Amino acid sequence: MSVTSIPGATEVVTAFFDAYSEHDVERMVDLCLDNADFHYVPFELWGKQRVIRGDGKVRTIGKVIWTTLIDSFPDLTTRIMYITSDDEGNVAAEVMISGTQAKPFGTMGNQGLHYDLPHVFLFRMGKEGLIEEITGYWDTADWYRQLGRLEVD
Amino acid sequence: MNNQDVARSFFAKMDSHDSSGALALVAPQAEVTLIPLKLQGDVELVGRQYFEQLLSAFPDLSVRVRRLFVGNDNTAVAEITIEGTQAADFFGIINQEKLMDLEQVWFLHVNDGVIDRIKSYWCQNRLYRRLGVKRLDHVTITS
Repeated sequence: MSVTSIPGATEVVTAFFDAYSEHDVERMVDLCLDNADFHYVPFELWGKQRVIRGDGKVRTIGKVIWTTLIDSFPDLTTRIMYITSDDEGNVAAEVMISGTQAKPFGTMGNQGLHYDLPHVFLFRMGKEGLIEEITGYWDTADWYRQLGRLEVD
Repeated sequence: MNNQDVARSFFAKMDSHDSSGALALVAPQAEVTLIPLKLQGDVELVGRQYFEQLLSAFPDLSVRVRRLFVGNDNTAVAEITIEGTQAADFFGIINQEKLMDLEQVWFLHVNDGVIDRIKSYWCQNRLYRRLGVKRLDHVTITS
């Protein structure tokens, strides 16, 4: 049976970003299924031994990334610029994420700079009306430049 | 063709290196926005420049659609992966003959079977890393 006419898919995603702007990570997670998948495509941390990628589950890696990001950018906001969805549970949103750095984040040292970075988030909704998959895209080069980092890695 | 077919055809023509065929699916007045390149303009200027540079720089380019759906506002949303080996400079990135693979998201708004608005996102930092660029302020300096 196909997952048709999921009620409120756009509303759930909007609520997700409202929670993000309110820094309510628990509510963000509560809008996702327990086993929801998480993919932050540009996220790569290159160590000496291995590369850590932004793939995993919302309740593990996603929650950690959101919490750490908000901690490093305590005035972080999200603004939905465009959103579309179909009747099969797919939602796409262009979202502007902004913030002023107060702590280092990953390899990005803190210079107290502000950023505004357009993102794309793709969601797949589960039958229960909760998010079952989140995929994020952005341009890390643009982010690095705005925060004063000029090394590619 | 329905809207999904139009979008799939667009990427299939890119995969077969038929940039003119892909652009023939796009209205002449369509606006193209390539977020990571900070380029925005008419398809004949920005779109053709991008596709022709891409195919020239990566002559073995492949384009694979990983996910595609059409929103209720007739916007096709596609996750694609492009792969290729660099053989010429690409938007200031000098050629070191490196292999790149890059995930992208494309928004294609379709109206009466014709694409009339295009927007694309990808991580330019990942592309720089794959192609050997070391610094964002000196994209053409690689070591």
